[in-house]
Amino acid sequence: MKHDITFTINGESVHLTVLSHQTLLEVIRNDLGLTGPKYGCSTGECGACSVLLDGEVVNSCLVLAPEADGAEIMTVEGLSEDDELHPLQKSFIDHHGVQCGYCAPGMLISAKALLSRTSRPHEEEIREALVGNLCRCGAYADIIKSIQVASRARR
Amino acid sequence: MVMRKTHVIGKPFPLVEAQKKLTGVSCYAGDERFGPELLHARILFSERGHARFRLRGVEAARKQEGVAALLTGRDLHTRLGAVIEDRELLAVDEVKYAGQPLAVVAAESTEAAMQALAMIQIEYERLPGVYDIESALAPNAPPVHPHMASYRGFDQVQAEPERNLAHQVAFQRGDVEKALASAAFVLDHTYTAAPLQHAPMETHGGVAQRQGKGGLIMWMHTQAPFLQREVIARALHMDPKDLRIITQCVGGSFGSKVFVSVEGLLAAIAREVDNRPVRLHLTREEEFRAVFMTPAMRARVTMGLDDQGHIVAIRAIYDWNVGASVDAFLMEMQRIALAGAGPYAIPNADIQVNAIYTHLLPAAPMRGLSIAQVHWAVEQHVDELAEMAGVSPLALRQRNLVKGGDQLFPNFVMHANGLESCVLETARAIDWQPDHQREASGAVASGKGLAMGWSPILVSPHCKSRAIIQCDGENLCTVIVDGVDVGQGYYAFITQLISFELNFPIEWITVQPTDTGNYDSDWRAIYNNLLWSTGRALLQATAELKRQILSYVSEMWEEPMTNLDIVEGEVISYATKRRLSVLTLLQEGTGEGAPPVFRAAGVYEPEVKAESLDGALQSFATTGYAAEVAVNLETGDLTVLQLAGAADVGHAINPEGVKAQLKGGIIQGVSQTLLEEMRFKDGAPVTIDFMSYPIATTADMPQQIHPIVVEIPQSTGPYGARDLSNHVLVGASAAIGNAVYRATGVRIRELPITPQRIYDALQTQAKTVEGNC
Repeated sequence: MKHDITFTINGESVHLTVLSHQTLLEVIRNDLGLTGPKYGCSTGECGACSVLLDGEVVNSCLVLAPEADGAEIMTVEGLSEDDELHPLQKSFIDHHGVQCGYCAPGMLISAKALLSRTSRPHEEEIREALVGNLCRCGAYADIIKSIQVASRARR
Repeated sequence: MVMRKTHVIGKPFPLVEAQKKLTGVSCYAGDERFGPELLHARILFSERGHARFRLRGVEAARKQEGVAALLTGRDLHTRLGAVIEDRELLAVDEVKYAGQPLAVVAAESTEAAMQALAMIQIEYERLPGVYDIESALAPNAPPVHPHMASYRGFDQVQAEPERNLAHQVAFQRGDVEKALASAAFVLDHTYTAAPLQHAPMETHGGVAQRQGKGGLIMWMHTQAPFLQREVIARALHMDPKDLRIITQCVGGSFGSKVFVSVEGLLAAIAREVDNRPVRLHLTREEEFRAVFMTPAMRARVTMGLDDQGHIVAIRAIYDWNVGASVDAFLMEMQRIALAGAGPYAIPNADIQVNAIYTHLLPAAPMRGLSIAQVHWAVEQHVDELAEMAGVSPLALRQRNLVKGGDQLFPNFVMHANGLESCVLETARAIDWQPDHQREASGAVASGKGLAMGWSPILVSPHCKSRAIIQCDGENLCTVIVDGVDVGQGYYAFITQLISFELNFPIEWITVQPTDTGNYDSDWRAIYNNLLWSTGRALLQATAELKRQILSYVSEMWEEPMTNLDIVEGEVISYATKRRLSVLTLLQEGTGEGAPPVFRAAGVYEPEVKAESLDGALQSFATTGYAAEVAVNLETGDLTVLQLAGAADVGHAINPEGVKAQLKGGIIQGVSQTLLEEMRFKDGAPVTIDFMSYPIATTADMPQQIHPIVVEIPQSTGPYGARDLSNHVLVGASAAIGNAVYRATGVRIRELPITPQRIYDALQTQAKTVEGNC
């Protein structure tokens, strides 16, 4: 079955015709060409496909595209503004919060959601916020540090 | 004399691709843009272990709407392998392992491809299978490769196919029997390690497109494009020159994207369609079921200690379950034999490394290169030996550890190294004390343990490396190398080196993605010594490039070249004080005619004297680990409270980058030691997602991690540096195992250390104590 949907993504409104079984991840990557969110598992275990949906972190591989009708979505591509990197992105560069980089778009999205809830999170809160984002390089310590430094810089 | 600024070597330096990776524009598997002409490939994998099989419905599937091409083993029967071709591209009649490819299809959409494969019925007739080391070695076990002697490369292995011995490497020195007979203490134990999955976050994938009649371009996420080109071209009977592999961003490899797994199938199916690009991107479940496992280990270790505290002898037999292919594991076996006695100067040693064929999916080494598993055995054994003799495990290590000048192999004298510093620094970091045993609070007991590690860095005649640097007005300074950055900081190192040697600002330097099309011959930097091989090639290239630039200016200014130098992006004359920006030089030249283009190449070609075990040995990376754990004595639950990891990197060219690698190694060490185990039922993997095969999350991180950088320069490495990333977690598992013993009094000799194993061991211990009362 086809659905006509409208949502806002990274500040832009889009109209699409999608199929019932299509996931939000497929639509974002294939129809909209935004390849920041990654395919990692399709079962919501790895967090590589994380996006913000109405401000909440979701695994876009588990959201059916029709469910996103009317929503406001942000992917990693929407983090930087006018070519100016987001403080989180700068901090990840400065503190080696990225190695192979495949998890990075999802990590940044989880971090962004955390910082909008808690402006200066403790290490424990950061660990908890990232528990659904797997990083096989094991860069967690530097990712946590990157987020801590970015949260301080914002203030 | 103008002092050179040394602002880039030994100073923090970010990852070169970091910004692209963090803004979502880096191109990983599935990210390539090809428009509507893109076809989608899917593979039909066997779900069963050893069986005879028939495919029904192939012709109907081929005619299915949207199918562009479909291949089975009957259409294309070919073997593949880097050294020994012990795999088939597509199975014919007999499935050797669950996960073996049976058919590949390219179609207009993924759905159409899946529908086509769903039309094929597989009829299996089960055959007796051997899935573990014991059953594979049992008398009358079915041989996995009865026709191995006919495979290309059979003369390169020491195999006995009829009894499933795929390859053997052995090393002896001294007289082990005699030394054990006269030793004061002799200890004999068996240790095992489970098979693992590399589980990179990016599953395997890529795009291939036929070019005209015979050519093929592949856009691949591989660590070893030249190796893959060679193997794929040979399997498909192509001239390697007709196959071009362009590397893309690699979303984690850990060894799984070195050897060819499904890439050969992508190439094969793309050749069947008319110049349309074909994409393959595995699902996570396929990645678990059908790519590589790391081999399971069984280590039988005997050590003898004299009454002076000297380890006088070691006998160690390392058996590895390599599944149905040993090809990707051959070089690691040499490495294991060299590391197999542990980081000790033991005068009598007898090391045997056996690869055993079974009906499981092919094995490939993972980060740590199986040397991590070797140390799981040896470094727990040393602790057990220390306890037997009543000496401190640290003191026993210090007395016996290998030192610079020790000659343990015929053509190799151990270089100065930081092994002792590594273990001492990690012990200090967690406040390890020799007399400190367990601390208990309620049901929870804590303890601390140590381990050391060494890991041989080898080169083979194939490990030659090449670098080309070009400076021109348009692109400033572009670099072509043959290795691939997989997140370890390889391109950062290259940028630092060039910036330092040519005294260029880093913004001028661009490292191009590695492309086999850039070279007319087979250059193959291999993953475990990239810094070494590329570094040495680059030092040659930068020297030549600088000579070219200064020679050009020398003619232009009519000044002797010896007056000139490059300082901070300017050519200067020490004599006349003239200055000229290199940028201006590249854009304008002399002002007459075309501006200059400078281009220089460097080559590192190792001299490997003989095909002997030690002939390729260059150096050893040394490491130290110290762990503090807490164990719930009622449940067996294990928590790593802190983990310190130290590595001697010779010279930390990018200290924060080195620490990032160490921290990653610490996390992977925890993950491999506590969580990871690939499990099978009737030869088919049952760990097929991150629920059944958990890897470490932020919740599994130790509360404290201590990365420690030790720097004892390697005289032959660039700036005294030594490679790190592959060796970084060697010793982590044994340190945790030794800590668990101190906390609980039970010794876990099977990896991973699960709560169940601790619980069972505690129950057995309690029964033994009761029985003794």
